[in-house]
Amino acid sequence: MDIYIKGTGIISAAGDNSEGTFLHEPPTYDTDKLLSKEPNYTAYIQPMQLRRMSKAVRMGIGASRMAMQQAGVEKPDAMSLGTAMGCLQDTEHFLAKMVTQEEQMLTPTSFIQSTHNTVGGQIALLAGCYGHNLTYVHRGHSFEHAMINAQLYLNDHPTHNILVGGIDELTDSSLQVMKATGVYRKANSTEQILNTNEPGSLAGEGATFFVVDKNPSEGSLHIKGIGISTPEDTAAAAAQLDKFMQQQGLSNTDIDLVMSGWNGNSSGKEFYDNINERFSASSIAGFKHLSGEYATASAFGLGMTMEIVKHGAVPAHMLLNGKQPKALKNILLINSYGHYLSIWHITA
Amino acid sequence: MALKPYIVNTGIITAIGNNTQQCKDALLSGKNNIGKPTHLKTHWESEIPVAEIKLSNKALADMAGVNEEWPRTALLSAVAVKEAWLPYAEIATGLRTGFFSANTVGGMDLTEGVYREFKETGTVSNISSVINHECGAITELVAKHFKIEDFVTTISTACSSSANSIMMAAQMIEAGMLDIAIAGGADSLSKFTLNGFNTLMILDRQSCQPFDNNRRGLNLGEGAGYVVLMNDKAMAQCNATAICTVSGYANANDAYHQTASSPDGIGNKLAMTQAISKAGIQPSDISYINLHGTGTANNDSSEGKAIEGVFSGNVPMASSTKSFTGHTLGASGGVEAVFSAIAIRDGVVFPNMRWETQMEDVNWKPVTELQTGIAIDHVLSNSFGFGGNCSSLVFSKS
Repeated sequence: MDIYIKGTGIISAAGDNSEGTFLHEPPTYDTDKLLSKEPNYTAYIQPMQLRRMSKAVRMGIGASRMAMQQAGVEKPDAMSLGTAMGCLQDTEHFLAKMVTQEEQMLTPTSFIQSTHNTVGGQIALLAGCYGHNLTYVHRGHSFEHAMINAQLYLNDHPTHNILVGGIDELTDSSLQVMKATGVYRKANSTEQILNTNEPGSLAGEGATFFVVDKNPSEGSLHIKGIGISTPEDTAAAAAQLDKFMQQQGLSNTDIDLVMSGWNGNSSGKEFYDNINERFSASSIAGFKHLSGEYATASAFGLGMTMEIVKHGAVPAHMLLNGKQPKALKNILLINSYGHYLSIWHITA
Repeated sequence: MALKPYIVNTGIITAIGNNTQQCKDALLSGKNNIGKPTHLKTHWESEIPVAEIKLSNKALADMAGVNEEWPRTALLSAVAVKEAWLPYAEIATGLRTGFFSANTVGGMDLTEGVYREFKETGTVSNISSVINHECGAITELVAKHFKIEDFVTTISTACSSSANSIMMAAQMIEAGMLDIAIAGGADSLSKFTLNGFNTLMILDRQSCQPFDNNRRGLNLGEGAGYVVLMNDKAMAQCNATAICTVSGYANANDAYHQTASSPDGIGNKLAMTQAISKAGIQPSDISYINLHGTGTANNDSSEGKAIEGVFSGNVPMASSTKSFTGHTLGASGGVEAVFSAIAIRDGVVFPNMRWETQMEDVNWKPVTELQTGIAIDHVLSNSFGFGGNCSSLVFSKS
């Protein structure tokens, strides 16, 4: 794979990366959900338009604009998005009205904005982008598939760039349902989240976008490979990691930094403990305590990788084994959302 | 040299038939099934006709051999995948097989049934009604059932969803990333979509009349349609024969409005032109266009003008099979890919039903009578939708 990241836009519970001070200070909380700290959107979206946008749409547009700004791109040639849940807020709004009003006197606005491709459609509309435009909705691999599609697109259009993003919003109802199904846990504090042996993870949301192309340049991050799989247990997940390392021609000691998708969920502890052991000579950084857990959080992990490389060091509050990386050449991003595993090989 | 993606088999279920043969028979005999729903319970059942599949969830589950508690979209998907994949399931051992599905409604048919209980009590008594709400869950259920695991994905770009899943499947076969791909999509009727489209005032109160000057809107339908794509190696191992190839594809955006097409169909034109160019042919080589042709004032006018532009006065035979199946939304690209493959294999062009009056703003008319015994070399299939998403596919005789 030969994809180069040229710009990153992050909107997350830990803030956004539009200023140079992102994550210098660790966040603190004690809550059952990490909601995005949204930026002042006026630099990106006109107030009249902003008023009608749901959170998923404005986060998506805001983060995509930040990424485009960083890459110096006014209009992307194409876009490829991932969102497991789509526009939940508008979907539920229309659903609630339909149920309580017994299918009568309904208005179209929230239905129009409820489709899963709303964010992609709106970005295209605002930027006047007539190019290829796809939205993947495949659970914990939605963002990964969007990136694989970007590779397919760039193979056909080697001189183009493409905007790639992952967005998911959290609503009260989705939190309630996912607590009931054991995905999310009850309230957690900053100290607890990655350090307790409890089932479930802390709910989160966010939008992270990238401008990518096929041309290496100063300061760009190279995505060399993405391994995706859905292993049912720790042994199968470890085998997938072995296979990926072999495919990429990597040995454990080649890895300078592991971006660990550890989210504190006891069901993933064995797998991530093994990773801590396997890469004990490397620096290991966590990011789920900043974003919370959601199906496209791997995009946030990739965005943080870009931030770390840009600043040349890992913020102390992200280090899981206390070690700063000796260099930032070979980076492994390992993310799991349920049984959806992705492993990324990134070089700076 | 890229590997060619051949279509070797199809699987389909729509209001006009439970498999490829039944759908083809209905298309040939001019039979449609648009009317009052029996399974969809809605306030609008007497007022708004739909193209519903007259089988209960239990009956669909029995046909596919799956659990009847699945969302209806997953049941429809499983029925069509079973037809498409069964001949190869046992002999495709060792070949890398992917499943590319699409839908827009996910498990909404079940979610909308328990939403009141959820809001009133804060919980639902039967959790299985909501655990498969996500669009991706539909694909996952079906992929697991048929044990397809080398690459499994879900695309949701409104009405163009399953055209896009066929596009990505073709690309991955061409790139040598997979040997086999089952690609298409599914969508069931739901109160959510029916009411949503009703608020947009684009649902016909009668049977739809695509590309007619007096058209009133679209009829919603439900269904699933998949094609099985193989490379040469997989065809040899599975002893499969090619019906046609996926020779061209393109995805463009209209960047005009969230739910309406631009008056001249900018995105439509881009998608058609790029797909034809990808196929390495000229517009004049297209034998038949399977239109998006929803029957709304806006779509047919934009699509009609875009076709005028692309084919510059020499429009090939064209028809909207949505006059039979209704608009099956996320399934429509898959359903119409199956119809396109039949058109090439059997040398037929299906009629655009109920067409009466020439459109004032478009200078060509659709085919209104069944055409048989003609050589169909290249079919262009259009799928345009909300979010400005426009996709076109080209299928060619192999």
